[in-house]
Amino acid sequence: MSVRRKNRKREEYFFDYTLLFIVLFLLGFGLVMLYSTSSYEAALDYGDSAYYLKKQLLSTALGIVCMIIVSRINYHFWERFAVLGYIVAVILILLVMTPLGKEVKGARRWLRLGPLSIQPAEIAKLAMILFLAVLVCKMGKGIRTWKGFGLAVGAAAPICLLIWKVTNNLSSAIIVGGIAVLMVFVAAPDYKRFVLLALGVCAAAALIVFVIVKNAEGQADAAVDGGIQSDAGFRGDRIIAWLDPEKYASDEGFQTLQALYAIGSGNLFGKGLGRSMQKLGFLPEAQNDMIFSIICEELGLFGALSIILLFILLIWRFMVIANNATDLFGALLVVGVLGHIAIQVILNIAVVTNTIPNTGISLPFISYGGTSVLFLLSEIGLVLSVSKGIRLNDVG
Amino acid sequence: MFASTLKCRKSEREVMSTENRKYKRNRNHQRSSRNPENGNRLNSSRNLENRNRSNSSRNPENRNYLNSSRSMAGRRSADNESKQGNRFRENARSAASRNNQRNRRKQENRNRQVRVEAQELNARRQEAARKGTGTRFTIRMQKKLAVLFIIVLLAFMGLSMRLYAINKEDSQNYKKQVLSQQEYNSKVLPYKRGDILDAKGIKLAYSEKVYNLVVDASVINSKQAYVEPTVSAVNTCFGIDANELRLHLSEKPKDKYYVVKKQLTYEEISPFLELQADKEKGKNIKGIWFEEEYKRIYPFGSLACHTLGFTSKDNVGTNGLEAYYSDILNGTNGREYGYLNDDSALERTTKAAVDGKNVVTSLDANIQKIVEKYIKKFNDEHKGEYREGELGSKHTGVIVMNPKTGNVLAMAAYPDYDLNNPRDISAYYSPEEIAKMEEENTFLDTLQGYWRNYCIQDAFEPGSTAKAMTVAIGLDSGKLKGNEYYDCTGQLEVSGHHIHCHKTGGHGSVNVSGSLEQSCNVALMYMGDAIGTETFMKYLTNFNIGLKTNIDLAGEARTANLIYDADAMVRSDLAISTFGQGYKVTMIQLANAFCSIINGGYYYEPHIATEIQNPDGSTAETIAPRVLKQVVSAETSEKMRTYLNAVCITGTGTTAVPAGYMIGGKTGTAETYPRKQGQYVVSFIGYAPADDPQVVVYVVVDRPNVEDQPHSTFAQEIAKGIFTEILPYMNIFRTEQLTEEQEEELRKLKILESVSENSVENNEEEGAEEETEQEEETEKPDYTYDENGNIIDPLTGYKVDPDTMEYIDPLFSTIGDISGTPSENEQEDTDEEGSR
Repeated sequence: MSVRRKNRKREEYFFDYTLLFIVLFLLGFGLVMLYSTSSYEAALDYGDSAYYLKKQLLSTALGIVCMIIVSRINYHFWERFAVLGYIVAVILILLVMTPLGKEVKGARRWLRLGPLSIQPAEIAKLAMILFLAVLVCKMGKGIRTWKGFGLAVGAAAPICLLIWKVTNNLSSAIIVGGIAVLMVFVAAPDYKRFVLLALGVCAAAALIVFVIVKNAEGQADAAVDGGIQSDAGFRGDRIIAWLDPEKYASDEGFQTLQALYAIGSGNLFGKGLGRSMQKLGFLPEAQNDMIFSIICEELGLFGALSIILLFILLIWRFMVIANNATDLFGALLVVGVLGHIAIQVILNIAVVTNTIPNTGISLPFISYGGTSVLFLLSEIGLVLSVSKGIRLNDVG
Repeated sequence: MFASTLKCRKSEREVMSTENRKYKRNRNHQRSSRNPENGNRLNSSRNLENRNRSNSSRNPENRNYLNSSRSMAGRRSADNESKQGNRFRENARSAASRNNQRNRRKQENRNRQVRVEAQELNARRQEAARKGTGTRFTIRMQKKLAVLFIIVLLAFMGLSMRLYAINKEDSQNYKKQVLSQQEYNSKVLPYKRGDILDAKGIKLAYSEKVYNLVVDASVINSKQAYVEPTVSAVNTCFGIDANELRLHLSEKPKDKYYVVKKQLTYEEISPFLELQADKEKGKNIKGIWFEEEYKRIYPFGSLACHTLGFTSKDNVGTNGLEAYYSDILNGTNGREYGYLNDDSALERTTKAAVDGKNVVTSLDANIQKIVEKYIKKFNDEHKGEYREGELGSKHTGVIVMNPKTGNVLAMAAYPDYDLNNPRDISAYYSPEEIAKMEEENTFLDTLQGYWRNYCIQDAFEPGSTAKAMTVAIGLDSGKLKGNEYYDCTGQLEVSGHHIHCHKTGGHGSVNVSGSLEQSCNVALMYMGDAIGTETFMKYLTNFNIGLKTNIDLAGEARTANLIYDADAMVRSDLAISTFGQGYKVTMIQLANAFCSIINGGYYYEPHIATEIQNPDGSTAETIAPRVLKQVVSAETSEKMRTYLNAVCITGTGTTAVPAGYMIGGKTGTAETYPRKQGQYVVSFIGYAPADDPQVVVYVVVDRPNVEDQPHSTFAQEIAKGIFTEILPYMNIFRTEQLTEEQEEELRKLKILESVSENSVENNEEEGAEEETEQEEETEKPDYTYDENGNIIDPLTGYKVDPDTMEYIDPLFSTIGDISGTPSENEQEDTDEEGSR
């Protein structure tokens, strides 16, 4: 059977090389930028300028292997693991609290698995995509009702809450929630609820910001000097710093401000690859969440827009694949991956440009982070697997 | 499941494979021109087999959708026409009945066309529906996905606008920010000022790296968490008052440079550096840094203070060698700086500091020590003796020179001061007196007084020591033959002035030698008459009296207006000039002139520096002795040595003679202005050995603190002490028999034991062989030990087994061990110890 399938695939089945090429280009570009960004700090901290690059290369290689394997497996194979995946994700998140958890830079978000450490939140994103795809398919038309809608969104809520509360990682929780909402948005026929939902979220966010700012003002009057000391926790501080980064240039606003300096000093074509000054110890986590600002500094507006264009192309390919998918399940998987990547890219760039308050979201395929790239590539594998199901006569 | 799916796909594909290529072509048109006719075009390209179905499905609604929806959706609907065409119509229908209807319709169609295929497809659908995943991704969903894509696009556009805005609005500002954050302000890397070394390589002055504690208040204040840890760390490590520091931080919160403590050594700052490096405790210690600079150290404190001088801020030499050789001793500061290159990229460059050169001098720290010891001894003995609360003398100066080169071996003046602390004169004044001086603004003048080098900066009437010059002038000019006799009656009338001899009864008849021995003024005045003003003054100028000697020290006094103008000189002026009154000299002038009288007539430029070294110790420049002129002939010089020797054998200079040596010299006692106050400058200038002068010692005591001043014995005693100790040190050997008293005296000084060994042996042998002799001495023991404690056979240099006393096979020993003959270092060590 397998021999037959292979032969036919080569002849007539569709394989989205465009998507593959875009992903590989992003990976290559990401590695180059990662090396450029991290070499200084790596040489300083570890005595090896390629320290981060090597680790990332390993994860990327592993990710590509995963991608190839996943793309060769019919995606329906994963259907049966939907519920299991969901449960495993929940357990893994809870495991972070046990001694298996690993703390990095004050945040307990990792799990130690032998020599590797993984972020359960990344697994949760994939599990959520799979679970919701299956759930929506099962519901069929049920998704049109309020009940169905509530069920789908509600399925995401426990994991979101766990990620937020257990690993204290609001940004990942937002991404998981966002993925769920986007999948349901595509699956459900109407707009009204989503508009309402969006308005509700916006209103809530505005209210929170308003309260925190009022709070901080009251405290600032009481406090002797300008340091942020609100009891709203570090998120509150970040919101205050977001509104006026210059005022808190040495505290919460520091990273954001340094990122803005990097972007602003890049101009149209940037300072040239490897020429960033901000990466020389000024911009914290430059190779991580802030890598986009270094891209802006070194390659300028041109480089930044090229990256954005690449992501748009990527998302367009996702859309094409989803539209041509042979069944709803495959399409929803692709929509989930689309949502995942789109949300992360948009939020990351928004953070870097201080459009939204600072929160740790990495730039897919480019930022440093082993688990992230591993699971992103697995997701791409899934998408490629869906694309393989498309017959040439459908797409060409 | 896979198998069945596959079958379905296969059948479908077989049906439609022929249509594919045509569709593709159509799609291209459609993409470019998306016009209302699309539906028709699609129709025209369809084959007969599908026509029925497409006709039935091509209702208006469907076409509208095709035309109005985005290309993606439209294209797809066309592509999938064969199996999805039905769906378009269905979309308009109610959602509840859609599935059933469609299934029904499809079944009808399939039945009509290819029954087998339809059945298979139906089976697959049903199976899929049962599983719940077989539902299609509907057009409505595609529409929503398209909406989602548009939203994402809009978000990206918004972010792009934001990026553009940041670049456009704040670009200049942010660029500046980025550049200003870089530390490209330059940082000075201080150079190391060169050392001053004595003739034996002992460091008389050197520079040591020290650290200034600088507080950057703006950094500490940048975060509240930094303040307390930093303040307490500075408090515990450096003892800085915490409250004062806090006050500074609150008063000048933006101050970046506040030097709290200066010139800390590395040992003093290392506890703080450790604390700061500590990950836990040092985390919040910020805003403290250390500025490097060099501190001038004078290891011997006041030794040769006037000759060396000191440095004030920024390595500016003050007085003495430090001032004279300041440019050579100083290097060039290095700089660490960043700059923007042509591409506006920041580049950092370090230009290393060039350290200063070392100056090697002819000074000998040991001779200098001996000299200062005797100066101090004299002054301590006579402190407050006659004049209450005053030192043993107003000034005491000693110059020790090598007459054959003009090199100064020691130069000392009293009172002295501590070079490491030149502003501290608390040894001479009480705090109250100092406070009073500061009030009256005389403190600095007083300091200047202590900093003055009496040997080169103060002029005085030389007195009888100048008689050596007068006699030398007479002999060399031919005006004296050396066989003249003069009659001294105690005084001589010159142009109506009665000028007395120091012996009021008169010396009676004296010859030239006797006049020097007895220091007879009258005889000298007669000689002056014979010489004549013109010749006398010409020679005096040749002796550089009234001119600078150009010794390499800063601040040598000009004495041009302190001597007589030859044209305006009257006879009495000449008369008193012959015995060293009426004109003034500096010590160095007289000492150097005296050197030329006894060394064969060569006038050398007096010099202290002998070599300039590069910072690494290699020679940059050698300063050779420089003969300026021949002042008197060799014969005159020889005669003068005989006369001066006689002074110390039978004349006034016998007190200065050290035990066991024959020396020559001349005493001096000059009354100071105003006259008749009982104030005298007493002096002695002598040389040793008498027949071959190797060292000249000139001692001047300015107004000794005694009741009866005019006795050159004060100076002679100092000179004798100096001679006694430096001659053995300089390996000048005793030529005279020692009396028992003298032996006793030398034993007290601990010279005899150490000297006697050397002198006994060296009396017979040349001094140059001394080294080889000592080498032999060290080889005397049967076995020596190397640094590891192994026994070494001195003859072969091989290691010896301590038990069997047999050689250890050298092949198995390391090379370093084999070469373990008494090393050269050891020899040098013993040599030095022996000679000291």
